[in-house]
Amino acid sequence: MEKCQVRNNIRKFRFFQNEMTQEQLAEKVGVTRQTIIAIESAKYAPSLELAFRIALVFGVPLEEVFSYTSEDEPA
Amino acid sequence: MSSQLINIIVGLVSHLLVLVYYLVNLYQMNQEGGLVSSKVFTLWAIVIVAIIFLNIVGNILTYIVLSIVRAIKTGKAEEERFIVDERDKLIELKGVRVSYISFSIGVLISMLTFVIGQPPLVMFSLLILSGILAEITGDIAQLYLYRRGV
Repeated sequence: MEKCQVRNNIRKFRFFQNEMTQEQLAEKVGVTRQTIIAIESAKYAPSLELAFRIALVFGVPLEEVFSYTSEDEPA
Repeated sequence: MSSQLINIIVGLVSHLLVLVYYLVNLYQMNQEGGLVSSKVFTLWAIVIVAIIFLNIVGNILTYIVLSIVRAIKTGKAEEERFIVDERDKLIELKGVRVSYISFSIGVLISMLTFVIGQPPLVMFSLLILSGILAEITGDIAQLYLYRRGV
């Protein structure tokens, strides 16, 4: 089975939301700050529900925040 | 450091203390002329109750101390957010799986003592030991997953 990765633009969207902190985002989506840190650094792929909640906070479609890349494909 | 991580470290320390207590007592019994069933049964009871008690008390104390420390840091008496989110649950599940695998290996090794002609007391003592070691392995696995990522 090939290794896949869920990439994200959370850092960029936090910046566009007046430099929203990780803590603020965590509170809005109902998880811990550590989970947001893990998602941002691509150490954890969130569930579909959490991914939708994060996209909803930024007011953008899911595919603008998260993208799916297999390891063989160029990023 | 998150409250979950601190909880796991507290659990790990308490399991290590129980392990040391168990091994020291078993060693002393062996020095005094082998395992005596009445003493061994008492030791098992103490160890099992200690693990349950330390887990519960450790969790409660951790939350209380964390709340106090954060209230002092922030200067607000707000209710602390002790959220267990999907990542925490996933890591806990993986830790439990590691514990089960470790315990299964321990059970197999315990059964092998029959093959080499050891009495049942040795087998059951090894079972309890593998239970404690399985808890420790599970804790270490959780710590590793928190550091490395899921």
